[in-house]
Amino acid sequence: MAVGLDLLVQFFPNFASIVLAATGLAIIFGIMGIINLAHGEFIMVGAFSTSLAYNGGIPFLPIDALPGLGRLIGAMLFAALVTALFGLLVERTIISGAIPNWIAERTVGHPVITPLYDRLLDSMVATWGLSLIMVQTFRNVFGNSLSGVPIPFGKLSYGNSSIGLYQVLLAGVAALVLVGLYLLFVRTDYGMRARATIQNESMAQSLGVNTERTYMATFALGSGLAGLTGALYAPLLSIEPGLGAAFLVDAFVAVVVGGSSVVVGTLLSGGLLGIVDTLFSNVYGTFAGRIALLIVAIVLIRFIPEGLSSLVERLRERRLEVD
Amino acid sequence: MSDATEGMDPAVKQTSAELATGVDTDTILQTDGLTKRFGGLTAIDDVDFGVEAGELRCLIGPNGAGKSTLLNLITGALSPSEGAVYFKGHEITGLDPHERIRHGLSIKFQVPSVYEDLTVRENVRLPIQRLASGTERDERMADALAASGLADKADIEASALSHGEQQQLEIGMAASLDPDLLLLDEPVAGLSVDEREEIADRITQLNEERSIAFVVIEHDTDFVADIADHITVLHQGETFREGSIEEIEADPEVQRIYLGGETDA
Amino acid sequence: MATESDDTATRGPLGRLTAALHGPNTMGNSRRFWYLFGVAVLLFVFFPLYMLPSSVTNMSQYLSLALLALSLAVVWGYTGVLSFGQVAFFGVAGYTYGIVAINVTGPLGTMAGLVVAVGIAALFAAVLGYFMFYGGVSDVYVTILTLVVVLVLKTFLDQTAGDEWTIGEAALGGFNGMPGIPDLALGIGEPFLVFDDFTLFYAALLAVLLTYLGLRVLLNSDYGRVMVAVREDEDRTEMLGYDVKRVKLTVFTFGGALAGLSGVLYVTYFNYISPSELSLTAASLPVIWVAVGGRKTLLGPIVATIFIERLGLFLSVNVGDWAFVINGLLLLVIVLLLPEGLVPGFRDLVSWLGDRRSEGETDDTAEPTGEVVE
Repeated sequence: MAVGLDLLVQFFPNFASIVLAATGLAIIFGIMGIINLAHGEFIMVGAFSTSLAYNGGIPFLPIDALPGLGRLIGAMLFAALVTALFGLLVERTIISGAIPNWIAERTVGHPVITPLYDRLLDSMVATWGLSLIMVQTFRNVFGNSLSGVPIPFGKLSYGNSSIGLYQVLLAGVAALVLVGLYLLFVRTDYGMRARATIQNESMAQSLGVNTERTYMATFALGSGLAGLTGALYAPLLSIEPGLGAAFLVDAFVAVVVGGSSVVVGTLLSGGLLGIVDTLFSNVYGTFAGRIALLIVAIVLIRFIPEGLSSLVERLRERRLEVD
Repeated sequence: MSDATEGMDPAVKQTSAELATGVDTDTILQTDGLTKRFGGLTAIDDVDFGVEAGELRCLIGPNGAGKSTLLNLITGALSPSEGAVYFKGHEITGLDPHERIRHGLSIKFQVPSVYEDLTVRENVRLPIQRLASGTERDERMADALAASGLADKADIEASALSHGEQQQLEIGMAASLDPDLLLLDEPVAGLSVDEREEIADRITQLNEERSIAFVVIEHDTDFVADIADHITVLHQGETFREGSIEEIEADPEVQRIYLGGETDA
Repeated sequence: MATESDDTATRGPLGRLTAALHGPNTMGNSRRFWYLFGVAVLLFVFFPLYMLPSSVTNMSQYLSLALLALSLAVVWGYTGVLSFGQVAFFGVAGYTYGIVAINVTGPLGTMAGLVVAVGIAALFAAVLGYFMFYGGVSDVYVTILTLVVVLVLKTFLDQTAGDEWTIGEAALGGFNGMPGIPDLALGIGEPFLVFDDFTLFYAALLAVLLTYLGLRVLLNSDYGRVMVAVREDEDRTEMLGYDVKRVKLTVFTFGGALAGLSGVLYVTYFNYISPSELSLTAASLPVIWVAVGGRKTLLGPIVATIFIERLGLFLSVNVGDWAFVINGLLLLVIVLLLPEGLVPGFRDLVSWLGDRRSEGETDDTAEPTGEVVE
């Protein structure tokens, strides 16, 4: 009984970290056909911005002067915004090549960069280059670590153990993020455009969807989510330039396992992988948890190549057939 | 590749030699209750489709009738939801595409898919190098190039060929596998009248001289009338009619689905 | 147009060899290329005569790494499977060699270590490849999975500091790595030839040279043509009767073995290996070398490895930590502006200049240089 409760409580933070690590990556991959290998570094930007803002390191923006919880929340929102803007910049310079091409057209007379949209392998290589640049630049500029952010809320006791309330609450935030994304994709104009673009890009264009703007918004959104993840985990991590790597396994395995549908896929893979991670980490240690994640991913891809979200689609279709 | 001559066993050659004499008219391809569902959509519904050895069959039907899906089920690019495919008397339903090819099946895709960065000669070489070596290989490559009308363009990159030439090259590549059955998905789409005639000549020549059986998907009714012995009409994933070109042309129901039958997805 | 078999009939064994080395799949089919190649080889052979000993030993390190780059060029550049996992095979082979060579003393142990290490690396690649390719994992997921494998393997090695991770005499050593790995040696009982310093340089040079020439033969063979066909269009190749999954698995396994050989040579240089060889930064290096040099070439990755590693040394002395930033920028700029890599870009420049020069003159080099084809 106590073990069961222990596992249940442990599950929440694991679920949260997988979902939060994966959503930004999944959105950019699903909609733009870009694998952002610098995703971990975008998370790192979020964590650094949070630390700087919280500790009063941002000029003219005295977030550290806000009272109580406002100081932390303010710093986190600021970090998500900064990362989204940074993502926008990356999209315009590297992913779409729009800025370099704009300059090249006025100097050399022709564009020099083909956009990386749907060039999966090239996008991986390019963003990896970006990740190397970011890690080392941050290390050179900020040193090996920044001062941390305190963990809010204290401990939650159950049985003879305890866990940080904040870690458990993160699962709620993760769920909120998924609900928010669902509403965004289903209810808003942007969501309609994004889904139209996934279904059929040229069709969407001919219907007047500005796919380039959709891509810009998508990359900024995905980056903002990565930044939010970094912000949310800033209290739990030591703020150092390599921190993004810790999220990579979770993020990639979740996207691989989840499949094409961002919200449903991430929810399912977060749930399943969270359970696997909790069981194995608790019983055999962290490393066993990682190995188990990898094995589950390989086995699942072997049997469900289109990812978990395809299962749901199949179920829904079967129900339609019965009707 | 050590297993270069797999699927070329003497027994098979024997059969096709028999077929060429017209004595034996065995069924070469047969599907049995073949069904393919994509989620809620049933693209192919319980189709029993048979082709005689040496026959030239056209497969027609409105857009979305399931023609390409049927071809993909036959080559193994898709696996069926239900049913089975038999080729030369053997069930091939569970085989990988390359294994089916080695049994004597061959396909030309709808979109020309030659290797654009390779030269025409390298393109032709790929199917042939698996089957032959030394001087035999050279001869067969030269034959294939000549038959495709591309002998003088052998050393340019395939991307530099015209659309019609790419279609010819791809038919040549598919034919150089020495198939018993060749599937062509819209071989003349987007071609000029002259180019269409060349392709039609090529198909009848391969059919008559090398007794290769054909299944040709085509929209162009003149082209179909030119080449086909026998026509199968597919409609909403089901076999709708089968018969000679005259029978099909005279059938008012076929007229109806072509004129008003665009309702399916 | 003379066909290939006519050529071989007239030229004899030497002709057969040259025919095997040439073809559209590798760069450098002209006589001029081979002159330059010969000069370059001679420069390398006499390298110890005109360079400092430290440069020579550094060069043996770069040459071992060039094998790692070649392994990725074969898998990615020629077969179209982008693997971030080459360092995993490299590292596994390095550790395996260490375990065997530390436990079995004498040259026999090191020779056995070499064989076992390369074998284990190949086996590892084969098992991983089997699950990925026969599991129908699409190309992108293959790339991601190989990356995840590297990350997980590093996590594993990082936590092997305890005594339970001592295999015989060899302790895996966690973060601190495994020191005291013996040099590779030939002989039975008494070592007849030990590969250290200069001898290791020549061993690495020979390994790179033989691998390069061997790969040229492979890539211009029928099999090499199938590899390129798989890269260009998998479905089409399957429909020509080729077993695409098996081709990918075979190449991936071979790439694992080659990366393993690289790993063995590399650990005998340092006599030491640690999990940092499997860090994300380390995993990115082969991709950088191959992308920068030109992934559809063999020479490009070799040249780029030596150049970038040498540059890295220079930068770390002169600009310190900014070396990685420059590496990353290099990768980014190349992928965006010259996706084919530097060496093909250089070749196009040379042939363009050549065309301009010969435009005015009579064309006395009627024989095409053959350097224009990819």
